[in-house]
Amino acid sequence: MFLTLGIDVGCSAVKASLMQFDPAGGGPKLLTSEGEKIRKRNVKDVIGDCYEKVLTKQGVKAGDVAYVASTGEGELVDFRRGHFYSMTCHSRGGLFLAPQVRAVVDMGALHAKAITMDEHARVLEYRMTSQCASGSGQFLENIARYLGVATEDIGQLSLTAKQPETVSGICAVLAETDVINMVSRGIATNDIIKGIHLSMARRLVSLLRVLKAEGDVLATGGLAQDAGLVAAMQELAEKDKMAVRFIADPLSPFAGAIGAALWAAVRHVKLRGTSRSSSEARA
Amino acid sequence: MDLEAIVQRSEALFRDQDLSAVKEWKSRTGGKVIGFMPVYVPRELIHAAGALPVGVMGAGEHAEIIRGDAYFQSYICRIPRSTIELGVSGKLDVLDGFLFPAICDVIRNLSGMWKILFPQKYARYVDLPQDFGAAGRAFYRRELEGMAEDFTRLTGKAVTAEALRRSIKVYNENRRAIARLYDLRSEAPHLVPTWELYLILRAANVLEVTEHTKLVEAYAQAARQSKRPERDYVRVVVSGAFCEQPPLGLIRALESSGCYIVDDDWVLGARYLVEDVIEDGDPFDALIDAYATKTVSTASRYESTALKGKFLVEQVRSRRAEGVVFAAPSFCDPALLERPMLQAVLSEQGIPHTGFKYAENTGQIQSIKEETGTFADSIKLWGTA
Repeated sequence: MFLTLGIDVGCSAVKASLMQFDPAGGGPKLLTSEGEKIRKRNVKDVIGDCYEKVLTKQGVKAGDVAYVASTGEGELVDFRRGHFYSMTCHSRGGLFLAPQVRAVVDMGALHAKAITMDEHARVLEYRMTSQCASGSGQFLENIARYLGVATEDIGQLSLTAKQPETVSGICAVLAETDVINMVSRGIATNDIIKGIHLSMARRLVSLLRVLKAEGDVLATGGLAQDAGLVAAMQELAEKDKMAVRFIADPLSPFAGAIGAALWAAVRHVKLRGTSRSSSEARA
Repeated sequence: MDLEAIVQRSEALFRDQDLSAVKEWKSRTGGKVIGFMPVYVPRELIHAAGALPVGVMGAGEHAEIIRGDAYFQSYICRIPRSTIELGVSGKLDVLDGFLFPAICDVIRNLSGMWKILFPQKYARYVDLPQDFGAAGRAFYRRELEGMAEDFTRLTGKAVTAEALRRSIKVYNENRRAIARLYDLRSEAPHLVPTWELYLILRAANVLEVTEHTKLVEAYAQAARQSKRPERDYVRVVVSGAFCEQPPLGLIRALESSGCYIVDDDWVLGARYLVEDVIEDGDPFDALIDAYATKTVSTASRYESTALKGKFLVEQVRSRRAEGVVFAAPSFCDPALLERPMLQAVLSEQGIPHTGFKYAENTGQIQSIKEETGTFADSIKLWGTA
């Protein structure tokens, strides 16, 4: 029996997941996941807090963890043993949360990625949004602040929209200007938000179309909690007659950390040089 | 000096485009300073004439090219432009002469451009032979003797056999110290981050050779005693960066993407010769023999197709590397023309590889980091790229 820990250092939050592996069988067990918003704090402090929180919650000591793997801005995790790239981790975390998926769409604070993978979570192809922030969680948070809406209410508000307004999908500056104009024209808040969701969803669905994604697609990253955005992606995919169904898991924001912890186990087994194949850690 | 102080000093030397250390040497000794471009010049000859060899590797990542662009077409690498910029902006005024060794057509043209722009300064195209037999050796002897005459005229100090033998000895010591540092990095890459090793190497461009040897040894000793955590990173060899250098941030990004760099070819002139130059007998013969038979394999040096890739594969095997990262400057004809041949050999040998292009001022490091990071992930998890 051994423990691994994955830490996903994102642009706006740090997430950590602790997993337990029993080489005798039974598959990996997710013990706990914790997240901390960075909110202008020192990122290393946030990483330390998040790490402590996970260990304390599970009543384990740092020395009990066989392998700590970072993902995202991993160089900030001084106590890491190894590092894995975000798409490597999101594909593995996605497969853990929804074993039937062969594509994930990772929607973070600054970037979004669509990834296709095989049944072992090996990345086959990926596409990223361009550098403009208008497809990102940070942009959505800014808009929510301008509109005086709590971030967690965005999704439900969007689902009640009747006549969504079109928003620029190219540039965050233009999109923000669009929103200011809409507010001055008296457009309902839910219609504005749905318009923004559709604009963001258009870019994400395009990425998946290029990758020829099919079947269930798991939304991961912080924006996966936004039911309005997930619904907007579904709406556009159906309009485009794409054979995909977007799903989200309550643990979707932790997909990167979970994936890192799972890959950590593969490496731990390999480095330990046991006779057991690393595939048991992948199970 | 502790590790941090050594690295800080080396970084200060690296970032100082005013060449303050060179100016200080010049005012202290009254000696002449001779610059040289990558990859290889026989620095022993310069040293034997009492002059200071100074490596010029472009202007790096922060220099703005204003006038340099006017002298070259847009579809070539950046190093000649930025070198011209340094020259016309007076940053290289401290140099009394400048050597342009045979690397490619661009550097050959730069030597001509330099002679036109700075007719009052000594400049020489060092025509390194690509024939390593009798004819090439005879040609190279004339080249070396010509340079020795030039340096004697420039410094007023004759390049005697005795002086040259002494210089050969101190450069042998320097190469051995660097080789030991490379071995230490290969044995314990977590103790010798490559960005630090790179700064130590770059100091060779501006420091007098014995001072540089002391710096290398002090760094190696401090690094060996450091307590740095070992990471589960992939061991890679970096190949193709022998002329225009990548920005320091790019080297750091390669490492933080999950790679331990266990061999490379940057600042290659300092490690061009892989064995000692013979310290007794005719020193010209010794330098000729070393150039003909004791060097690294690199794209600016002719090699028969049958031997292509052999050196790189041997580097991978001896350093226990798990893959190769090809990093070459954009528009670098030697590196980019050779890359497909080397890739074919690596593929044949089952050695994973990836590659990218950069410029000395590359700012888009994230995409390169993504490329090498996923490469490292693939090797760690799947054993292939």
